[in-house]
Amino acid sequence: MRVNKRARVRLIGVTAIILVAVGAIILGAGSGDGSYARSVSEALDDPELVGERVRVTGTVIDGSWDQGVKPMLFDIRDEGASSGPVINVVYSGSPPDTFGDGATAIVTGILSGDGSLDATDMITKCPTKYAAADGAMTVEDVLSSGANVIGTEITITGLVASDIQPAGGDSRFAIASTSAGEKIGIAFDGSLPSDIDEGDAVVITGEMRDDGFFHAIEVALSDSEK
Amino acid sequence: MATIGSMFIGIGGIAALVAVVSLFWGRSLGEKDGESLTNTGYLATFASFGAFTVSVFIMIAAFFREDFSLMYVASNHSTDVSGLSWLYKISGIWAGREGSLLFWAWLITVFAAYVAYRRIQKTDDLSNMGLAVMNIVLLFFTVALFVETNDPFKLSPAGWLGANGELLIASAMNPLLQHWAMIIHPPTLFIGYAGMTVPFAFAMAALIVGDGSKAWIKIVDRITVFAWLLLGIGIGLGAIWAYVVLGWGGYWAWDPVENASLLPWLTGVGLLHSFTVYRRRDGFKGWAIMMAAISFSVVILGTFITRSGLVQSVHAFGEDIFSAWLFGAMIVLPIVFAIWGLMARREMFSGNDDFESLTSKESSYYFNNVLMLVATIVVSYLTVSSALPSFLPGGGKSFGPDTYDAVAHPVGILYVLIMAVCPLLSWGKTEGATFWKRAKWPFVGTGVLGAALLTVWYTQLLPIAQKVGSSNSFEPLNVQSLYAVVGLLVAALAISVSVFMFTEGARRRAMAKEESFGAALWHIITHARTQSGGYLTHLGIGIILIGLIGSSMYVDDMDFAIPQTPGANFEAAGYTFTFNGINEVNIPNGDVESTLAFDVTDGSRLVQTVTPGQIFYYRQQQTRLNVDVITQPLRDVFVVYNGIDAAGNIQMNVKINPLISFAWAGFVILIIGSGLASWPKKLPEARPVAAVSKKRR
Repeated sequence: MRVNKRARVRLIGVTAIILVAVGAIILGAGSGDGSYARSVSEALDDPELVGERVRVTGTVIDGSWDQGVKPMLFDIRDEGASSGPVINVVYSGSPPDTFGDGATAIVTGILSGDGSLDATDMITKCPTKYAAADGAMTVEDVLSSGANVIGTEITITGLVASDIQPAGGDSRFAIASTSAGEKIGIAFDGSLPSDIDEGDAVVITGEMRDDGFFHAIEVALSDSEK
Repeated sequence: MATIGSMFIGIGGIAALVAVVSLFWGRSLGEKDGESLTNTGYLATFASFGAFTVSVFIMIAAFFREDFSLMYVASNHSTDVSGLSWLYKISGIWAGREGSLLFWAWLITVFAAYVAYRRIQKTDDLSNMGLAVMNIVLLFFTVALFVETNDPFKLSPAGWLGANGELLIASAMNPLLQHWAMIIHPPTLFIGYAGMTVPFAFAMAALIVGDGSKAWIKIVDRITVFAWLLLGIGIGLGAIWAYVVLGWGGYWAWDPVENASLLPWLTGVGLLHSFTVYRRRDGFKGWAIMMAAISFSVVILGTFITRSGLVQSVHAFGEDIFSAWLFGAMIVLPIVFAIWGLMARREMFSGNDDFESLTSKESSYYFNNVLMLVATIVVSYLTVSSALPSFLPGGGKSFGPDTYDAVAHPVGILYVLIMAVCPLLSWGKTEGATFWKRAKWPFVGTGVLGAALLTVWYTQLLPIAQKVGSSNSFEPLNVQSLYAVVGLLVAALAISVSVFMFTEGARRRAMAKEESFGAALWHIITHARTQSGGYLTHLGIGIILIGLIGSSMYVDDMDFAIPQTPGANFEAAGYTFTFNGINEVNIPNGDVESTLAFDVTDGSRLVQTVTPGQIFYYRQQQTRLNVDVITQPLRDVFVVYNGIDAAGNIQMNVKINPLISFAWAGFVILIIGSGLASWPKKLPEARPVAAVSKKRR
């Protein structure tokens, strides 16, 4: 190398300065902004996470929120759980448009020791069609009520106890309270949840009719299937 | 139909294999003896293009026929029933993972066929090897397409279909994708991704053949600009879509999906500028090769991040190990081979890289590459950090927009400064006197424009920050203000220098050729397309920077609740918003569209009526917002309807985005500039020369 040695040294020097500066910014910003991705139960189980920034994924519990209040308070629990540990979220921003009962919420904020999360960021994903089984009648209930329920719109819950037939026939599928219990045939020509299968817990709205079949208006997977 | 579709993918793959074997074998036999084999390789490339085209056509036909027996069609068909519905049928092919993989593979065959078509008269060593590498890449894609999780032609499970083939499950294209920008955005990105295969392939070819001259650059230059241009269009459209559809937090949120598309754009800038030095000064050869390999590598990395679920869940890795290895190989091998090749061919690829001074043009190109590479590495690392082991810094953690912005703000401003100053510098060493002579008028322009921008900043933007605080939790208000002021001045410089390059160039030509200024300017624009396109692109970047500063640092976000009675109003952005009523429309496919009407008044003067609303998508059970915007030169006023709350009040949100129109205007100028630069020039060989009556050997 000729006279360029000085220029080259300066070049390397400036490059080094840039790298160090960028590194410093990342370390500074990163340590404050980095968050641990956890589920609700994981976040609550780990005492080391208290006071740390966590990004928790959970399902919004029905009715636990009010959009008009600021900061917005709502509760989340693990996806697929109908009971279990709950995190109370305090969120100071505006909720995304897909927020609602049963939505999957990913909230980021500082976790406190009392199971609450001071959230600064939230994104939500959309749920598939799920319904709560609370307040629904079981198959036994319906069978034992006999003529009393015929023609009345009710909600029943049970396990899918047969193959799923194509639409257009008498019975799309059957449900029962337990895998060996007595079955009721469900007549339904509408769209079923995409992942429905034998053994799944379902919540069905419709009415019993004289023909012995339960004519459904709507079929949804039970919350507990999430 | 499904099996025929898969069959043609297989045929395409076999043709690619034939091409690879023929081209390498033909080369080993020498020019004369290997000629027919080499020609076979070119023909096999065309055949592969044909086969993949048939396969893509079958898929699109399946969407038009609503053939739900294909699982991919069932999951990705559009429910739109407007006049645009036929376009959404086509867009189904790139709406999901399997289809977009097929689409991408097809695009690679398009580029390969184009290169083959342009080079078949010459069948030079470089082109033969370049084509061979492209076909190797295609082979990887073909193998990937036959993995079950990636198979676009797999059949729907039996329970999904009714007696007449109708769809019985609640599944369809995500309503967020049923928007005009989502018709154009994915294909432009995929064209850009597929196009980045070309410079990589020819970089490898140059190493294989041992040709360190600029021959390979001349072949791939325009295609590379074109690919980079399409990437830019795709990124911009994605930003527009995100801006208008909301739920994504504005036009850029450093989301993994967004970052994936940005990475090759960043390295692409480094690549294109390395090409310039390679062409004009025979330098930066190692840079050009490495940037070509890295660009291809990050394209695959980006796809991997987006489509494999790597980042959404740390646990998603386990699902499809084979694909993980396949993509992993495509990410790592290009870089490994590039480094190895450069080491093996050290002498051939050592170029004119002596630096004489820190204030030379070469130096600014060097820092251009360094900053782009640093940005690429930082963005990649922060994006995948949650999947990294915890002993690495940030391992297991994910990072929000504020971290990215904390790096992007200073690095971005420094970058635009270098970009602005470079045209004023000389190759080798810039003499002080020369510099000031060149810089005089640009500095005057910077002063004038800068003063105007700073006035706007001080009177309109700073008050917002004083009200809401800094937009970034890591940048105290005075730091943010410093960035804003310096950034606006740098942007003014970039704009002034770009304009100066045009006016000065035209003025000189007008004097030398005795043309009018206008004619000279026109000539420069149309004939010196690489340079004029470049300066126009720089101009666009400067304007975009203004828009970014305003709209990212000084957004004002306000919520309002008003009763549902007509006449109820609220005040925002200096206007009064008066509610007129709600209109609900039931669309034939079960969707429900609600639109609200507001009169926006300034005193007694009606400024505009805005109609924000929502669409509830029946099949997908999802709501999408329809935002309305009051567009003004110095700001956008976003009006969002957030639904009715428990008390029966209308929830409204108003966001003020200052200077956002500069970002969009700058984007348009950038596209025009890059388009100009990518316009093909007639190759000298195309001139009819009597001697070229038979194919040149």
